[in-house]
Amino acid sequence: MSSAIQEQERERELGHDEFDPIGTLALIGIYFLILASMWLFMYFVEFLGNGPTVVGMI
Amino acid sequence: MGAYIDHFPREAKLIRSAFYTSFIMLALGGIFGVIQTLHRTDVVRFIDSADYYTVLTAHGVFMVIAFTIFFLVGMFTWAVTTSLERPLEDMSFSWLWFLMMTVGAVITGVTILLGFVESVDVSADVLFTFYAPLQAHPLFYIGLVLFVIGTWLAGADWFRSWWAWKRENPDERIPLPTFMVLTTMIMWYIATLAIAVSILAFLLPWSLGIFDHVNPLLTRTLFWFFGHPIVYFWLMPAYMMWYLLLPKFAGGRLFSDPLARVVFILFLLLSTPVGIHHQYMDPGIAEGFKFIVMTNTMFLLLPSFLTAFTVVASIEHGARQRGGDGYFSWLKSLPWREPAFTGMALAGLMFAAGGFSGMINAGMNINYLVHNTLWVPGHFHLTVGTAVALSFMAGSYWLIPQMTGRRLASKPIALLQVVLWFVGMTFMANSMHRSGLIGIPRRTAEPQYQGFEFEAALGSVSELNAQLAIGATLLFLSLTLFLWNMLITAFNKSAESPGENVIPTPLSGPDDSPAVLDNMKLWTAIAVVLVILAYTLPLASIVSRGGLLGRGGDAFPVSIDYLALFAQVALESAAGLV
Ligand code: HEM
Ligand SMILES: [Cu+2]
Repeated sequence: MSSAIQEQERERELGHDEFDPIGTLALIGIYFLILASMWLFMYFVEFLGNGPTVVGMI
Repeated sequence: MGAYIDHFPREAKLIRSAFYTSFIMLALGGIFGVIQTLHRTDVVRFIDSADYYTVLTAHGVFMVIAFTIFFLVGMFTWAVTTSLERPLEDMSFSWLWFLMMTVGAVITGVTILLGFVESVDVSADVLFTFYAPLQAHPLFYIGLVLFVIGTWLAGADWFRSWWAWKRENPDERIPLPTFMVLTTMIMWYIATLAIAVSILAFLLPWSLGIFDHVNPLLTRTLFWFFGHPIVYFWLMPAYMMWYLLLPKFAGGRLFSDPLARVVFILFLLLSTPVGIHHQYMDPGIAEGFKFIVMTNTMFLLLPSFLTAFTVVASIEHGARQRGGDGYFSWLKSLPWREPAFTGMALAGLMFAAGGFSGMINAGMNINYLVHNTLWVPGHFHLTVGTAVALSFMAGSYWLIPQMTGRRLASKPIALLQVVLWFVGMTFMANSMHRSGLIGIPRRTAEPQYQGFEFEAALGSVSELNAQLAIGATLLFLSLTLFLWNMLITAFNKSAESPGENVIPTPLSGPDDSPAVLDNMKLWTAIAVVLVILAYTLPLASIVSRGGLLGRGGDAFPVSIDYLALFAQVALESAAGLV
């Protein structure tokens, strides 16, 4: 991957102040929601929903 | 300006050697990986189940000790020399540490593989976690010691470069790549201290027959003291690629240099005082200590989220410079045809999934659900097995041309390779996580039992096994494509400028951050204090209850006893003759 190609493909130059990472915020927000809901599922369904595994007789 | 090899031909040779060695280790690890997968899923069983642990040990050690760390020393040498813009201080010293690591790895590797040879009474079927009561032949530990000392000297080499640079540039901030190397190495020095004690004071003398027994819980705890920070030792070179190279490939610049520094400091401080989270199920460690460690572990989420933010934002910056817009449609403007970019992006995505299973592992109570099941290998094949391994492979598509001056043999195959790894790992990890949830154990040659069936709420065990076997086959295929591409590249006649060895300057540079971030002595001191706080009481209680050398018990396997017995018989008969 040569940097010449990268220069060509660059349409504009964005400095620190012109760049707002809203896309990142959106992606991480979605990721966070997935994490939270999967944790709830794991805790309440898989963990609490299964009986004790170590104690007592089957 | 030019490729790395144009500036640093001598260093390029060393780095190349480190990368090639790591690829050989990866190849060996991959062969054992697919053998064990096909064996435990009962698809193809051509090894004896009794040899399963030899295979598993070889897979673990070749992958996570040899492959990852050989790659790391290459990466770190690249980072230090590139960012300080100076060659290594003394090449013969650098070759010395590389040689030590290689000799150590060969000794340890051969000792493991001798487990297959029945006529030789040497084995090291101790798994990559190598704590008591599993016992290896002394050569296994001696090789490890050499290897680790090699890494210590490598670290000294990079520190030496930095000190020399600092004398000439007393007022400048440490360049970010070197900063990452130094903080990671400080963490490594702290972490490996425990494993040095464990090997030199306990495991090696015990294996030599000097001690009859050791305290297993002590060796376990010392292992995990080292065993958590080592995961960051694997990860940091991958993070380094994500922070330094991925923005470049995406056509952008790193979002924030100060944030990257904070992340590496947090890892230095927090990665060691959490090792006991691997021991939630160990009797003999009080619940209170485990609770403290769980809290520390949750703090580690902070640098992980900071990384996710910084890296994705840097990629987004690239996409927007390439004309991307909207909340999500900027994703389409990324260079998905570049294997180095796509491989690392997919590796990052898998890491996000690994974040989920890691969060489950980290909870003290919910950990009971998954402990020692296939879920756990499922988790770490997403992290070290993909986030790290796939980033290394993807990075090689850029790094190897930089180190050799030769053109990458095939870009389309490289692209196929990274996608294939992603698909294969999706199957394998999905199967491993779900198998773990229904209780299928890890580290088991034949996880099938008479009069008992694992019950899957969704799908069936044979479906899970099929996914595992298919995943492993795709991964192996992907690995073959990678190695083949690297081999052809190494001998590629067509030399073509591989592009410039430059790391784009960050959007927000180091001058925006407080100088205290660069105070290595301060962070080292805090890291040491945190370790002392976290480990003094648990270690004291383990030793006071179990004794430094334990209270008895047998080693597995007892190979050395034969030697001792033989010596005794020989001595006695000699005495009888006299
Ligand atoms: C060809 C691709 C791979 C396949 C098919 C594969 C397969 C497996 C399987 C099935 C296990 C679990 C075996 C058991 O517990 O019974 C395992 C364990 C493991 N794998 Fe992999 N793996 C692959 C790649 C990797 C990579 C790239 C890494 C790291 C860089 C890795 C690191 C490990 C480690 C550390 C273990 C645990 C060993 C132990 O329990 O002591 N694997 N692998
Ligand atoms: Cu850990």
